[in-house]
Amino acid sequence: MSSMGLKDIAFCNLKRRKVKNIFLTFGLLVGVSVVVALFATVATMQADINRKMDEYGANMVIVPDAVDLFLSYGGMAISSVSSPVNELTEEDAAKIWTIRNKENINIVAPKLLGLTEVEGKRGILLGVNFQDELRIRPWWLWRGKAPVASNEVMLGNEAARKLDKDVGDKVNVNGRPLLVTTVLESTGTQEDDYVYTDLHEAQLILGKPGKVSIIEVSAWCASCPIANIVLQTSLKLPHARVTAVKQAIATKADVLQVLERFALAMSLVVLLVGSLIVLNTMMAAVHERTGEIGILRAVGFRRSHVMLIILQEVAVLSLISGLLGFALGTFLAKVMAEVVAHTVVQVQWDPVLGLAALGLALAVGGLGGLYPAWQASRLDPVTALRSL
Amino acid sequence: MGLIELQNVAKTYPGPRGGIVALHDISLKINAGEFVAVIGPSGSGKSTLLTVLGAMNPPTSGKVIVDGIDIYDLSNDRQADFRRAYLGFVFQQQHLIQHLSAMENVMLPLVVTPMNGSKKERARQSLLEVGLADRELHLPGQLSGGEQGRVAIARAIVNDPPIILADEPTGNLDSQTGREILGLLMALNKRGRTIIMVTHNDEAWSLASRVVTIRDRVIVADEERCGH
Repeated sequence: MSSMGLKDIAFCNLKRRKVKNIFLTFGLLVGVSVVVALFATVATMQADINRKMDEYGANMVIVPDAVDLFLSYGGMAISSVSSPVNELTEEDAAKIWTIRNKENINIVAPKLLGLTEVEGKRGILLGVNFQDELRIRPWWLWRGKAPVASNEVMLGNEAARKLDKDVGDKVNVNGRPLLVTTVLESTGTQEDDYVYTDLHEAQLILGKPGKVSIIEVSAWCASCPIANIVLQTSLKLPHARVTAVKQAIATKADVLQVLERFALAMSLVVLLVGSLIVLNTMMAAVHERTGEIGILRAVGFRRSHVMLIILQEVAVLSLISGLLGFALGTFLAKVMAEVVAHTVVQVQWDPVLGLAALGLALAVGGLGGLYPAWQASRLDPVTALRSL
Repeated sequence: MGLIELQNVAKTYPGPRGGIVALHDISLKINAGEFVAVIGPSGSGKSTLLTVLGAMNPPTSGKVIVDGIDIYDLSNDRQADFRRAYLGFVFQQQHLIQHLSAMENVMLPLVVTPMNGSKKERARQSLLEVGLADRELHLPGQLSGGEQGRVAIARAIVNDPPIILADEPTGNLDSQTGREILGLLMALNKRGRTIIMVTHNDEAWSLASRVVTIRDRVIVADEERCGH
């Protein structure tokens, strides 16, 4: 070397203590790779959960705007009455597809709800677009096949029991014979009581052409918060009441928060262990090099020079650990996503995560190496030389 | 005022019953260009005197003034700078770094010395001065005892310090090799460097221009030697 610097002394030492340095690098690498794998897996699971929860049921509900009137007598509230101002229509449902963030809209499921005669008794009729309805309710289980034609119906579990009807039977709905193609398994909700027909068939039966009672919407919220979608929809439908389904959102937020906290807690533990490995290995290295440090101090090296040599060694090992840890962690994340989340993911090299991994390795290495470096710089030259 | 002046220097190491006295009230003046041999029995304080002079071992009391600088008034960093600028050390066991080549060992003081020109060339000159130019790539383990001694001297002079402190430089060497090392030190002295050498070797101190005898941690004799 034409000119020797502190880094040359550091590199020389790194080449000399290969086994110990490999041990240190490995310890730090494992820590970094675990952290990278955890965060990458959590990110994958978050995206997966986001997607699944967005698809799992409606996260926005639209009903006609209503004026709430309170009936009172002598200052005592007796009851409230809501009177709809404007009913919703199928055109309103179509407008939802024209909001600014329309690419976030997954399913629009308009429904018409009404009372009618079913097999000579009063029954609740729910007109739906079966294709959208079955997508927005993926938890439904049923017997038979999904209705396709306008004269086919689906019965809720309780409705089927009360009407004594099953798949293949005919059911008279307001004088119209309709074929039961589907019977829902019990959901434990009001859905069990409904007679489900095609939306247009329901509109005919109930005498409300083009009308809908409620529109359920499933939106993907990962890239656009539901509040924005609610606002945009409200602007398109000023005569409607648009609300987010808070429970779904709160549940999703809770789940994601738990995942993040878990990843953070595990990362802290792993990084602490990594720091201790660096500390232990470097303390041993400094002890071994007591004499060498004495020589350096005797020939005029300052304490800061000695510290820099040690820290440079730690920095190089940390950078190597960071790079390898990032690579290993990314592969581990793919395996973990497949095993834990049953999600097949491509290996994705996230440059931000890579930089974070490098930074993390340097920070952990620096933390573990700081004390040994300081110790080395404080060695008394005379005592150090006596060790030779 | 001499180049080096010790004023009532005492050194006590921590220990039982008040500590271990290594030096007791040493006062000494050394002029530039002198070749001083410090002799005395083992445990008399010779090596402690050298480390005190070397700005590595602060005295318990007293002052050490070199070239008008009270060296123990300096901060730790400044003491390191002082060693680099003023002192060259030659140790009994040479204390070369085993995994560095002769060239790299000699270059060590230059690593932290700001300078113009090539550090490698400067180091090569030093090796040439001690007659080891053809050994620059050898590791210490590949050199004889005498050659290692020469490398140690080359390292001591690479920064062109005015003062060389040598602690038993011939202690581990056979007489022939020891003579070679002493010859080098004499040559450095003739070129104007001040040499302070701790030694047990009769032949070594006979070459010095001044002999300081330490016994029981005090200077008991300090004689100029004529004809040197």
